[in-house]
Amino acid sequence: MRVGILSFAHVHAEGYVGNLRAARGVELVGFGDDDAARGARFAEAYGLRHLGDRDALLAEGLDAVLVCSENARHREDVEACAQMGVHVLCEKPIATSLADAEAMRSACEAAGVTFMTAFPMRFDASVRAIKDALDAGELGALYAVNGVNHSEIPKGHRAWFADRSLAGGGAVMDHTVHLTDLLRWMTGAEVEEVYAEVGNPFYPDDVDVDTAGLVTVGLSNGVFAAIDCSWSRPTTYPRWGHLKMDLVGERGALALDAFAQVLTARSPRLPRTPTWIGWGADPNQAMVEAFLDAVRDGRSPPVSWRDGYEALRVALACYASADSGQPVRWTHG
Amino acid sequence: MRVGIVGAGSMGRVHAVGWRATGAELVGVMSDPFSSAEALAAAHGVRAFDDLDALIAEVDVVDLCVPTDLHHPMTLRAAAAGRHVVCEKPIALRLDHAREMIDACERVGVRLFVAQVLRFFPQYRAAAEAVRAGHLGELGVLRFRRVAYPPHQGQASWFLDESRSGGMLCDLMVHDFDYARSIAGEVTRVYARSLRGNDPDAARDYALVTLRFASGAMALVEGGWAYPPGVFRTGFDLAGRDGLIEWDSDGSETIRRYLLPTGSSGAAAVGLPLTVFAEDPYTTEIKHVHAALRDGTPFDVTPQDATEALRIALAARASLREGRAVDPAEVA
Repeated sequence: MRVGILSFAHVHAEGYVGNLRAARGVELVGFGDDDAARGARFAEAYGLRHLGDRDALLAEGLDAVLVCSENARHREDVEACAQMGVHVLCEKPIATSLADAEAMRSACEAAGVTFMTAFPMRFDASVRAIKDALDAGELGALYAVNGVNHSEIPKGHRAWFADRSLAGGGAVMDHTVHLTDLLRWMTGAEVEEVYAEVGNPFYPDDVDVDTAGLVTVGLSNGVFAAIDCSWSRPTTYPRWGHLKMDLVGERGALALDAFAQVLTARSPRLPRTPTWIGWGADPNQAMVEAFLDAVRDGRSPPVSWRDGYEALRVALACYASADSGQPVRWTHG
Repeated sequence: MRVGIVGAGSMGRVHAVGWRATGAELVGVMSDPFSSAEALAAAHGVRAFDDLDALIAEVDVVDLCVPTDLHHPMTLRAAAAGRHVVCEKPIALRLDHAREMIDACERVGVRLFVAQVLRFFPQYRAAAEAVRAGHLGELGVLRFRRVAYPPHQGQASWFLDESRSGGMLCDLMVHDFDYARSIAGEVTRVYARSLRGNDPDAARDYALVTLRFASGAMALVEGGWAYPPGVFRTGFDLAGRDGLIEWDSDGSETIRRYLLPTGSSGAAAVGLPLTVFAEDPYTTEIKHVHAALRDGTPFDVTPQDATEALRIALAARASLREGRAVDPAEVA
């Protein structure tokens, strides 16, 4: 299978290089990026062919593309891939507006190509163990979840994450979607209520997007959950941040700290002291392989366009709630 | 200084230990049932009382360790007799009751201390000092955890009766509401979801409460009587523009016990988030009260602070009832 990466705008593109190289039956053809300097830098860093812009990449006759451009450019990129009959694994959030997300679905459906949303945490071993425990009834009925996906500001890696026109927002846009997706996936229920406090307490002089968000969601089955999506870790933190869920239910609680498997390292040669060096399994590997398997076998992908859409809807509802100072509610027909 | 304790439950017991560590004279203990007053009094070699006025007549300070619905009437009785009052948290079940308690004490010139004990826990004190020293800069996102198991006393505990305790939000989460306000200032908006909010008859309770402060900071306060017996997790995470403080009870135990089970869970009727301390925070608190009464110096926690903490808890309850964000100023 011939696969390419479309843009190194998103930091995850860097990890995907290794994931694609490790996947069986994949020829990583190269990548497209209309930023020549960025293209040259990552071609050098990863020994990967920078084929030019998007059209140059798609001219290679690919089977599948990993879309890693800025959030606001996903639509045009996905539409271009679909037009060329190329299957898509798309970074999250899948777009910056519901209209763009709808257009992406239409384009992929019309072309008969697979669209999968990149929600890697569904493929994390610990997250899966929690899902299995819930499914096996270990917790009894699930009542509530206290979720944390706070991090440092990603601006140091890529400036556009804190650029409203390209990212669609800040911390809320960046981090609400992961836990929203896990909540939907674990419960099989839909979010129907969102309340959010949103602000920019951390970098008011540097960025004009939100850097803090405390989100409460209500699901259609009565479960309620908090999501802390803030960029509240200092850039001196031992790692980018955390993904944690405390799940409270009929029989007690399950506490997940998905990235607890680390070495604590101290050295003047490391960028941070201490540095947490992860040694857990890379969920991106399993996610990328699941995408490739779905394409290869002509099956529907394990994370759908709908999953990306519903998560985006929650992120956008956070801003609406913050604007009104009240919860936003809707129903799933 | 002569002190009488009213109530011989878990708080009466820890306050008795605290008073014994001061120069004050613990005169006696009154409780209903009388048998529990007798047991606590005997443990400290003091008198047991079965009548509140009889105790009040013998002391300078009345320390109320009774169910919350009794704080208001008993404070008024002690104040009318010209006694200083120490009162467990929350100050009352209603704001008008809290104001009447404060007014009654001010009118006769006695002092009122509400035992928001979290302010005396060393890790919370150290964090508050770091915030006040400016190590974190402007506060941004604050996280607080306080999840324990449901109080149990053989029969149904008064804690579980909202008409007596105010429920988990007023009884347990009021600790973190007070502490959050003490470091981040006034709260302008409260939004809450809870298990009991979904189902008033739920055997346990668990709540996620979001606070917004006038400063722009925000907080997520997690509280619960939701865990299995004996489990009590607390923690905080304070993120500011210039720095971060993290603490949680999971990670800071100096002693971990890996012992063969003894058969029963052995969980106390009411969980207390205690660990190895140089001094029990309840004793630190009582020593502070004693010194402030003796020397005429200010309390670290004012009854107005305790009233505002109750106001936040009541705003959270209003949010649960009405399904909307509530400005604490709306709460009468």
